[in-house]
Amino acid sequence: MKINKLLLTALAGSLFFVSCNNDDDSNAPAGAYDDGVIVLNQGGFGVGNASVSFISNAMSLQNDIFAANNPGHILGDTGQDIGFNGDLAYIVLNASNKIEVVNRYSFAHIATIEGNLLNPRYIAFKNNKAYVTNWGDAGIPTDDYVAVIDLATNAVTSSIPVVEGPERILEYNGKLYISHYGGYNTGESVTVIDIASGSKTSIATGDGPRSMVIENNVLYILSEGLQTWGMGVDTPGKLQTVNLSNSMVTSTLNFSADAHPSNLVEEDGKLYYTIGSGIYAMNLNAASLPASPIFSHTAQGVYGIYSFEVEDDQIFVGDAGDYSSNGKVFIYNPAGQKLEEFTVGVIPAGIYFND
Amino acid sequence: MKFKAFYFTLLLLLCQNLLAQTDTIARIQEVLVTDIQLHDFSNSQSVQKLNDSVISKNAASLTSLLQYNTVIYFKENGLGMVSSPSFRGTTAQQTAVIWNGININSQLNGQTDFNTLNTRDFKTITARAGGGSVIYGSSAIGGSIHLNNDLSFGNKFDNELRSDYGSYNTLGLNYKVVASGETLSSSISISHNISDNDYQFPGYNQRNDNGQYKNTSFNAAFAYKLNANNILRLYSYLFDGNRHFSRTLAMPSRSMYDDFNTRNLLEWTGYYNRFTSCLKAAYLTESYKYYENFATDNHTFGNVKTFIGKYDATYDATDKLKINAIADYTRNNGEGSDIINKKRDIFSGSVLIKHQLSQNFGYEAGIRKEITNAYESPLLFSGGAVIGIAEWYRLKLNGSRNFRIPTFNDLYWQGSGNPNLKPESSYQAELGNVFTFGNLNLTLTGYYIRLHDMLRWIPGADGLWRPENVDRAKNYGAEALLNWEKDFGESKVTVTGTYAYTTSRRDGSTSQLIYVPKHKATAAVAYSYKRFSAYYRHLFTGTVFFTSDNQSELDPYNVSGVGADYTFKILKGLSLGAQVNNLYNQEYQAVASRPMPGRNYNVYINFKF
Repeated sequence: MKINKLLLTALAGSLFFVSCNNDDDSNAPAGAYDDGVIVLNQGGFGVGNASVSFISNAMSLQNDIFAANNPGHILGDTGQDIGFNGDLAYIVLNASNKIEVVNRYSFAHIATIEGNLLNPRYIAFKNNKAYVTNWGDAGIPTDDYVAVIDLATNAVTSSIPVVEGPERILEYNGKLYISHYGGYNTGESVTVIDIASGSKTSIATGDGPRSMVIENNVLYILSEGLQTWGMGVDTPGKLQTVNLSNSMVTSTLNFSADAHPSNLVEEDGKLYYTIGSGIYAMNLNAASLPASPIFSHTAQGVYGIYSFEVEDDQIFVGDAGDYSSNGKVFIYNPAGQKLEEFTVGVIPAGIYFND
Repeated sequence: MKFKAFYFTLLLLLCQNLLAQTDTIARIQEVLVTDIQLHDFSNSQSVQKLNDSVISKNAASLTSLLQYNTVIYFKENGLGMVSSPSFRGTTAQQTAVIWNGININSQLNGQTDFNTLNTRDFKTITARAGGGSVIYGSSAIGGSIHLNNDLSFGNKFDNELRSDYGSYNTLGLNYKVVASGETLSSSISISHNISDNDYQFPGYNQRNDNGQYKNTSFNAAFAYKLNANNILRLYSYLFDGNRHFSRTLAMPSRSMYDDFNTRNLLEWTGYYNRFTSCLKAAYLTESYKYYENFATDNHTFGNVKTFIGKYDATYDATDKLKINAIADYTRNNGEGSDIINKKRDIFSGSVLIKHQLSQNFGYEAGIRKEITNAYESPLLFSGGAVIGIAEWYRLKLNGSRNFRIPTFNDLYWQGSGNPNLKPESSYQAELGNVFTFGNLNLTLTGYYIRLHDMLRWIPGADGLWRPENVDRAKNYGAEALLNWEKDFGESKVTVTGTYAYTTSRRDGSTSQLIYVPKHKATAAVAYSYKRFSAYYRHLFTGTVFFTSDNQSELDPYNVSGVGADYTFKILKGLSLGAQVNNLYNQEYQAVASRPMPGRNYNVYINFKF
């Protein structure tokens, strides 16, 4: 174990130097997977076929890059999130209760973080520590927490209990912002944790807050609303803006009752989100929600949008298809013209820009 | 609607007429079979019966017994875990499991988990391939599996005690007693199985953690002769199982699953000359508890109580013509943590006919109609013929329409159940060739199944999964069954083999459905000399795909086993036996990411007294 740690430290150290060199000459690719898009494919629950795909800026696709660079090592079950910190990528595997640490440019395996993770969801970083949201037992609403990982030792060193269903996590100015999408029940808040003092405050949201964006000292929270198909209660989605100087909600935009928005992202001064197969865009400070989508993904004849990102003039849509077959990633321009289409792994769940 | 009502009235009238023709000549048979349709109305289909001598040679697992001896393919989530049978490229929900004539598939998920039944509790186990919904109702599309406890009268008092011990600290105990006289016959079996089941995953530095299981089952059958013409029978089965669900290669597990199932059947049969009347009442309960974490008391659950009332009348119009009419009322009462509490009533009526026109030509036919407010039910039918072409060659033809009804989970799952589902239905046909050359039996069957309104859970645009009637599929293939046995003085050799070729595709797709092997074959040789016996058996399962686009597959596997036993002449016989499973230590997975065990051992002692 100690030898492993030494090796890891040595490796991490050498990577640090590599990254410094890289900073000196930022145009040179740092590895095979620099300058492109990383796609995390969740895989089927229990099937153990989570995988990672890479789409280069030149639009060439390579599937299974974790397996290709780490023969004999199974990535895991239900890939949930990838967080990037320095030269490392942290792949959170929900059903495996582990995090695989790889070099983000070579995908060479560096470490596995296991122990004290239970239903891990999303990851954020600050000062040589990682913060990972965990649902705990899905059936127990009171055991949810944020695991604190010491990145020097790759071990969970403490945990911060939070209310049920912590999902996305963002770090900004020494504070963690955690959306409580809900686990067994539906959540309705964002928790703010001051890392230094450990103090926790809560921001009331709509039902099922999931995706969040921080831009210009403003937090945007997208609540998806409660969908209970045919069961009565159905609550509308909400887009709230929060002034991060005082954590006060400064505006709330309500969606119509049957609209359940998701996938909030920000790019070049615009917010993007999706409803069903529709892709919507609005200005950061818009006073109302757009009435119609900029275009719809339905033209591809598939079920909907599972993952979503926007970078420059490219809109990325991850399509899970029938959730058993290999999924697809589509790239559109803002006018809705399909630029590219790639067949990736099963259930593309996350799209990340690796520059 | 009027049409339905008409049918039902017709059936009832038919029963009345039959009742009127009573006579008083006793016709009580030597062996009492409750699933008479399996014997009388299954002649034009491929039926493979495994008797207790085959059952005793095999492991306590019903999965293993059927996997090595029939064309049925099993999707087993690792040893002892959830095990789903499949005939002819269909699913476990399209396979009916019939216990003493009663369909015992779960009302919640529509299937039977074969690791919640213990083989030694049954006297005979029969695999009936092909459609059977006219007789057995929902799910008999790919085929049906029959678990029977036949009873007989005559003075008898036999006890049998068996104990198995094997790898991974696996212990099996079974006690059976058969006691009968001239008016009362009884057969009771109690089984207990327990295992750590923590086998090493061959080729990986991991064990089958959290795979331990234990279960206890009790099966009893009684028959009582009221008088020369009337018999009362009672069958009871109870299964109490506790299983942890094991980890996969990539996913640790702390989950645990409890099953508690009871089945009770009371029958009153009257034999009146050419007329046999049988009134049945059955009460079945099924209940599960699922613990995400076995260390806590937090769990989800589901229970269904089922009452079945059935009237079954058979009239032998002539020695060659048999008519059977069945009226059935079923009430399911389900509740659970995730389903809406519901009662469901289903009425059904069916008429079956069997006619032996000549020595070389016989046919059978049937219709069935269900009436229920829970879903629209199609008119089911079946027809078949057996044609003797030569002394060594018989031809079997069968065509039928079958269905599978939506389950409680499909209809009433909180938030996603779909109350507007139709049953899945199928049109299917098969052609069987039966060759008999002395001690050699060879059956070759070709079949075709057209599935409509396939009931699947699919994701909507909002990412929620709901059941829908989508897709059609075609399954076609061929099956071969071979059986040869010969006595050489005090030695006996038996050779058996099966082979199944299966194609199963959804319309508009060129991909094979997931977990349907194109090829499956088994072969076994058994040898006995005086009181010694030995066997060697082999199972080949071809490639299966585990993603619908056939981009991910599991390697084909060859698994062999060998066993031997010797019987000492102590009281009625004391046998000692040993078995080696997975003899060549093949690394294989029947389900993705769930390795099966390597070479493993079992020893047993079986004492008859």
